[in-house]
Amino acid sequence: MNADHQIPEAETKRNARLWVFVLLVIALLLVVGLNLSLGSVRIPLKDIVSAILGSNDVKDSWVYIIQNYRLPKIVTAILAGIGLSASGLEMQTMFRNPLADPFILGINSGASLGVALAIMGTTMVGGVFLPAMTELSELGIVLAASLGAGLAMGLILLAGRVVKSPTTLLILGLMFGSAAGALVSLLIYFSAPDRVKAYSVWSYGAFNGVDWQQLKVMIPVIGGALLLLFFLPKGLNALLLGEEYAKTMGLNTNRMRIMILLTASILSGTVTAFCGPIGFIGVAVPHISRNLFKTSNHKVLIPAVILLGAIAAVAADLVAQLPGSQLVLPINVVTSMFGAPFVLWVVLRGKRGGTSFTV
Amino acid sequence: MGGPERKARRDIIHGLESVLHAKSLQIGYLNGKPAKKVIASGLDLELRQGEFVCLVGPNGAGKSTLLRTLTGLQPALDGEIYLDGKALSRTSRKELAHKLSVVLTTPVEVGAMTVRELVAMGRFPYTGLFDRMTSRDWQMVDVALAMVGAGDFGDRMVHKLSDGERQRVMIARALAQEPRVLVLDEPTAYLDLPGRVAVMSLLHGLARGHGKTVLTSTHDLDLALRSADRLWLMSREGTIKSGAPEDLALSGDFQRIFARENVGFDSRQGHFSVREKTEGIAMLEGEGEARLWTERALKRLGYQLADGTEAEEPLRVAVIQDENEIRWLVATDQGHEAFSNLGDLADFVKQLPKNQDFKPAA
Repeated sequence: MNADHQIPEAETKRNARLWVFVLLVIALLLVVGLNLSLGSVRIPLKDIVSAILGSNDVKDSWVYIIQNYRLPKIVTAILAGIGLSASGLEMQTMFRNPLADPFILGINSGASLGVALAIMGTTMVGGVFLPAMTELSELGIVLAASLGAGLAMGLILLAGRVVKSPTTLLILGLMFGSAAGALVSLLIYFSAPDRVKAYSVWSYGAFNGVDWQQLKVMIPVIGGALLLLFFLPKGLNALLLGEEYAKTMGLNTNRMRIMILLTASILSGTVTAFCGPIGFIGVAVPHISRNLFKTSNHKVLIPAVILLGAIAAVAADLVAQLPGSQLVLPINVVTSMFGAPFVLWVVLRGKRGGTSFTV
Repeated sequence: MGGPERKARRDIIHGLESVLHAKSLQIGYLNGKPAKKVIASGLDLELRQGEFVCLVGPNGAGKSTLLRTLTGLQPALDGEIYLDGKALSRTSRKELAHKLSVVLTTPVEVGAMTVRELVAMGRFPYTGLFDRMTSRDWQMVDVALAMVGAGDFGDRMVHKLSDGERQRVMIARALAQEPRVLVLDEPTAYLDLPGRVAVMSLLHGLARGHGKTVLTSTHDLDLALRSADRLWLMSREGTIKSGAPEDLALSGDFQRIFARENVGFDSRQGHFSVREKTEGIAMLEGEGEARLWTERALKRLGYQLADGTEAEEPLRVAVIQDENEIRWLVATDQGHEAFSNLGDLADFVKQLPKNQDFKPAA
């Protein structure tokens, strides 16, 4: 019970980690600054703060662009990055599988089905699915996606109460995803090209469709789920050894499973509802975090994926703007095209350092 | 001996406090095709403070099911288990985790984790909601590491340990839970022979030296016979006989459970051996270690050592030991054949015609 029993490596390790966190915060500020500055209209970095505050020193158009366009987009990107990464981490730990992502249980399939029904269901067989909706507002799409994601989430939670084995849960999720995917394909097959295009645009993912009004919903929902998540590191750590060990350590695995499913599906479901199904961030960021911090401890990993997830999403959006051009790429294209080689590199490098799971 | 004295003696013998007690326990699975699949029933079992008990039995007897039931990982179908006098069915998971910890068969696959972090997980039942480790918690981690002789590799990464080292660390994790009872499911399954010996002697030491009650299932019968205080001998029919290893060997129970066509339990030597068809009788001259290993070689070839009662003329083998070399002589029709090692001798003996009469060596 003396100082000898303090963890010897703790001090140096904790200091090193603190520095990495500081660097990550700086990196986040950097990508946010660049993202605010670059785009179809270039706004100098030094004028950004004034523009955010709506000062008269800068052009009105700049204030408008920053306040109504770029700022909400960046807040959305940050929330999406956090939501996807945190839920991805939870899924990877719960299934003890490095390939698990936030959508492994079919949340995005549910959302996709909802949106597909809303956009294309009306044209099919004279509007059997929904009353005719000629112009679907962005809010309508969000609602449809929320309903779909909510339905999927409900099914997952229901299954989580009955099914005890993670593997069975995984298979259920995959089957649900396939079934929903088949229905979406059917809708696409019978739909007019313009509807199909509208659906495709949603499925590419975007951060720029969310305005301050919608953020008033998105911020508290994501924030609430994150708050819950901060109570889970202990249980998540115990699950690293598998459910059986966790049980013998006194963890209520049933309650833990429900908590994980609840937080993960709220996080990923909300993001998908507002931004579309955004791939890759949820599977990549947890890996990068484990490699960067050389730990599987969720007390470190949860803050890490929050920061790195935000950085990844804002950076992806920055690249998608193709600074200097008028073109904007779909987010999913960027996350996959730039993310895949990066993750491959991280994982291959990490194999020597050891990741949480055997790949 | 009078009544009171007799009772006093019984108390000395049975004075060890009972830690875990199963009463008419029925084990098995609930959601099988017939509503429940019973593996064993009517089990009355007891674990006493500080004893090392090995659960042995053929594959498929239900050893894992029994251990899973005793540790609360699956419910008992009937009967009750008492831990420290309290029924398991009325004990919370957390309370149970304070008294009993486990090491499971399947090796855990964790990376990016130090040995210390892994062992610290054993403090789970003692830390609060946010898992803050106090200095006493870290002290227990160090104590646990020292108990398994892993005090010097706390800072190493778990995925870089050898199988044997990892098993030690998993035992340390279980010890960090400060359990009264430690239950292990085949902790030696993935280890090489020296690793097995090390783990079994470690478990023995934990019981003897630290007063832990240790229950382990194992397939290493030799090691179980040598190191366990008691064996739980589980048959394929789901019965369990409990007793000192020596008693179970003497009574023949041990042999019966493991009876196989070609494998015999040599109750004089206390180990299992391949039962070869007898090729003949051998008479061996010689002493010491060289004699012992020559005897093993001859047995392997199917020869039994002569005890003087055989009608058959034995194969005569002599071990001749100088200061710096050993030679073997085998008597033949023509005199004798000399060998400088047992391999050559074995090759020669193998090609001898069977049931041939040998003349005595010169």
